[in-house]
Amino acid sequence: MHKLLIKNELLGCIQCGRCSAGCPVSLRTALSPRKLIYKNLRESRKLPKSQDIWSCTTCRTCQQRCPKGVSVMDYIIGLRSYQVERGKIEPTMRDALESILKHGNPWGRPREKRTQWIDDETDVRILSEGEETDVLLYVGCTPAYDPEIQKSARALAKILNDADVDFAIIGNDESCCGNEVKRMGELGLFEMLVEENTALFKKYKFNTMITISPHCYNTFKNEYALDFEVLHYTQFLKKLLDEGKLQISASIDKKVVFHDPCFLGKQNDEYDAPRELLKYLLTDEDNLLEFGRNRERSLCCEGGGGRMWLEVESESPRNAEIRIDDAKSIGAEIVATSCPFCQLTLNDAVKTTKSEDKIRVVDICSLIAENKFEETEMEE
Amino acid sequence: MNSVVCIKRVPETAEATLKIAPDGKKLEEENLVFSLNDADNYALEQALLLQEEFDGDVTVISVGPPETDEIIRMALAKGATNAIRIHHDDISKLDASAVASLLAEQIKDLDYDVVFTGAFASDDAFSLVGTMLARKLEIPHITMAIEMKQDDEDEAEISRELEGGLIAKYRIKFPAVITVQTGMNEPRYASILGIKRASQKEVDVVDDPTIPENKVQLEKISYPPEGKKAEILSGTPEETSSRLAEILKQKGII
Amino acid sequence: MNKDIFVVIEHRQERIADVSYELLTKGYQIAEKLGGEVIAVLLADDGDQMAQSLKSYADKVLYIKNEIFKNLHSEYYCDALSSIIGERKPALILFGHTVDSFEVAPALAEQLGIPIISNCVDFDIDGDFVRATVPLYGGKINGEYSFNAENGGIISVIPGAFKVENPQKSGEIEKIEFTFEKEYDDKEFIEFIEAAAGEIDITQAEKIVAIGRGVKDEENIDMIKDFADSIGAVLACSRPIVDAGWLPKERQVGSSGKTVKPKLYIALGISGAFQHISGIKSDTIIAVNKDPNAPIFKVAHYGIVDDMFKVIPALKAKIEEMK
Repeated sequence: MHKLLIKNELLGCIQCGRCSAGCPVSLRTALSPRKLIYKNLRESRKLPKSQDIWSCTTCRTCQQRCPKGVSVMDYIIGLRSYQVERGKIEPTMRDALESILKHGNPWGRPREKRTQWIDDETDVRILSEGEETDVLLYVGCTPAYDPEIQKSARALAKILNDADVDFAIIGNDESCCGNEVKRMGELGLFEMLVEENTALFKKYKFNTMITISPHCYNTFKNEYALDFEVLHYTQFLKKLLDEGKLQISASIDKKVVFHDPCFLGKQNDEYDAPRELLKYLLTDEDNLLEFGRNRERSLCCEGGGGRMWLEVESESPRNAEIRIDDAKSIGAEIVATSCPFCQLTLNDAVKTTKSEDKIRVVDICSLIAENKFEETEMEE
Repeated sequence: MNSVVCIKRVPETAEATLKIAPDGKKLEEENLVFSLNDADNYALEQALLLQEEFDGDVTVISVGPPETDEIIRMALAKGATNAIRIHHDDISKLDASAVASLLAEQIKDLDYDVVFTGAFASDDAFSLVGTMLARKLEIPHITMAIEMKQDDEDEAEISRELEGGLIAKYRIKFPAVITVQTGMNEPRYASILGIKRASQKEVDVVDDPTIPENKVQLEKISYPPEGKKAEILSGTPEETSSRLAEILKQKGII
Repeated sequence: MNKDIFVVIEHRQERIADVSYELLTKGYQIAEKLGGEVIAVLLADDGDQMAQSLKSYADKVLYIKNEIFKNLHSEYYCDALSSIIGERKPALILFGHTVDSFEVAPALAEQLGIPIISNCVDFDIDGDFVRATVPLYGGKINGEYSFNAENGGIISVIPGAFKVENPQKSGEIEKIEFTFEKEYDDKEFIEFIEAAAGEIDITQAEKIVAIGRGVKDEENIDMIKDFADSIGAVLACSRPIVDAGWLPKERQVGSSGKTVKPKLYIALGISGAFQHISGIKSDTIIAVNKDPNAPIFKVAHYGIVDDMFKVIPALKAKIEEMK
């Protein structure tokens, strides 16, 4: 019996099929967690060589819904790790992983350009070794490099400055958090990042770390052993609001729906902070709509688990497209989210479903910044 | 069947800001990321694929300073069985013929069927060492291989990729040198655990090789004259397209 | 020092490569300094016509005939060239830095024991020394290399580095029926294979015209394809086009598609999403987009803010005019 099966409690599986029923990609890809486990238990001496495991978005629905405590997602990640060890993985994923090793980010961009998101109007302090700050803003790779998501980073920096928060960033020495690395099954690289990042954080003095991406938040909070508080930015802004340090006046009179990022919601039980922030922004609270599938039942956008670097062949529409269609059908004009990957996948779906004139996808911090500093961050 | 793969450690410069070192002959290395030369990576993969099919050894060999061991370990992690590093502090001081001599001196005594090299290195793009090596080893060579078909261990059919997508097919008997173009295969990933395990494997270091005399000298390196970036051409479609057509012609692209 | 310049003529399927004429032109500048002649060296089987077309570009056409030269075989090429070079001792031997010269030039340098600088964009002669400029690191740095040319040397030059001018010479053709002393049976040419349609590898394309969502409708692709064909470019795209099923996956550029490295990349109606631009490594990126704020303009070298359907027909016409 392979240790991977024992470790993840596969023997407890009663084949009830809740994992597959809840899996967000089982309808559009060949992945069926139940069948995978079934086959593996029948041929228990060998791990399945299935390529279907690469469709998994590591949203964790399967694991959450399993009545027998089988670690379905961890098992899939474990299977991935054996394929990574053999080295035969999709070239796009290989390139992302190699880029993380070489440049500290999965996007193939040089380290020296990591702070290029900071424009002339954005005031951000970069820490030198030994320096102190109250809040460390961990920017993350996608907000640092993706021109679309850089807007979120700039918006957040402006909000923090406006609320007089003593914050700073690490700068070009900041490296990938490793959340996706772990989920792609590259456990050795993940361990290395944990070691290096932990040592890096020790070079500075701060009390709280905030992240822009729920993915970074998840791994720092749950998979590192850090001796400081880690918050997602929505949680931190909500705290500022409660303490009266951040003022948001209601100014949006459009219908808004919030798309729960898996790594903030399902995986970390934070459903309320983003919604609270949105309520402050809306002239009428009733304009905050809900998807039929919301909170722990929220439909994954397929941006997690390394899927940003892996295309899955399918005849069926992408989940993000389904999500945009759902948003249109409930009459939403804005899909708000709080995750760079969700923002990218949903934004693509707006284009592919030709919904540009009906739906806008936007990060909550950009919405707040537009609301507060309208003249500088106005979108079209 | 046994292969030898010649690999080179090169800086990744596609997006990096390059600075010339005070000696005016090489780059400041401080902020550069070094890696295995792209085409050599494909050469290595081809050797590993042959090994999967026909068994045998894959020996990687490189000329360079101790830092070269990084790429050697990566090759070992992917499945290379042996490694040789010919020590040299500064390979920018060696011309192609000298590098080929240093490699030939070690390879000639190995038991090999094929020597793979990348078709060119991303730094100087000379495309010289592979062919020169073949001459020094007195064996045939094929450059710019994009496909390799092999039914037995004595010979192979090699497709050379010519300009404009035309393919020229050759048959070559082993032993031979084959220089590999990027895109010949899909190089595998070297996991970090694999690289860590590979650091236990031994690298044969040739400490004090006899350095052949250069025939070609590097005088200096310099920044090329600056080009304009993101220049927006304005006017009517007639005007903009005519300006653009001129630019393309000037650049020799059209 | 010797005086003559040999230009080794590159030809394939009875057509002389442009780079050979470029080298003959440049050869005159060098030969003038040395007081020597420019000699076109043509290794061919059925080369009478090619020799004729070279006449006005060279002081002499040395037509070395043997049926083996029908297709490239480096060992025979080297043997013939060494024999002729040994006899006539030119000051310099020039090659185009092309896929065929990769096969021959370095081997010839070794066979003759003379220096070679390849991948040059320019070179000159200065006393006994030849100095050449080589673009390093993808052209971000220039390298100056030199060798002592007392016993000759080889320079291989990137195609397109020099302009062609016809010096209107009427060089004599010296035809030599060459016979080989040695046979090589360890390497043999089999055949040429033309790239099959539908199997185009965009990663190897020299010119790419890429379309994005701005193309709006599948029917519009034909027009763009026409344009691409007219400039010898390969059609590629961003992800939405593949998603829409308008082009196959193998045409997709970007982090989930392919990384391309063409000399020319024309992005039409592509906004420049990060996942797309991360797959482009090109020295000349041209963007046509209606949105002046499209991020593609941040990576493009030249941009036109306009409707691609207005610009492309005009551009196609201009380029055709120039031909």
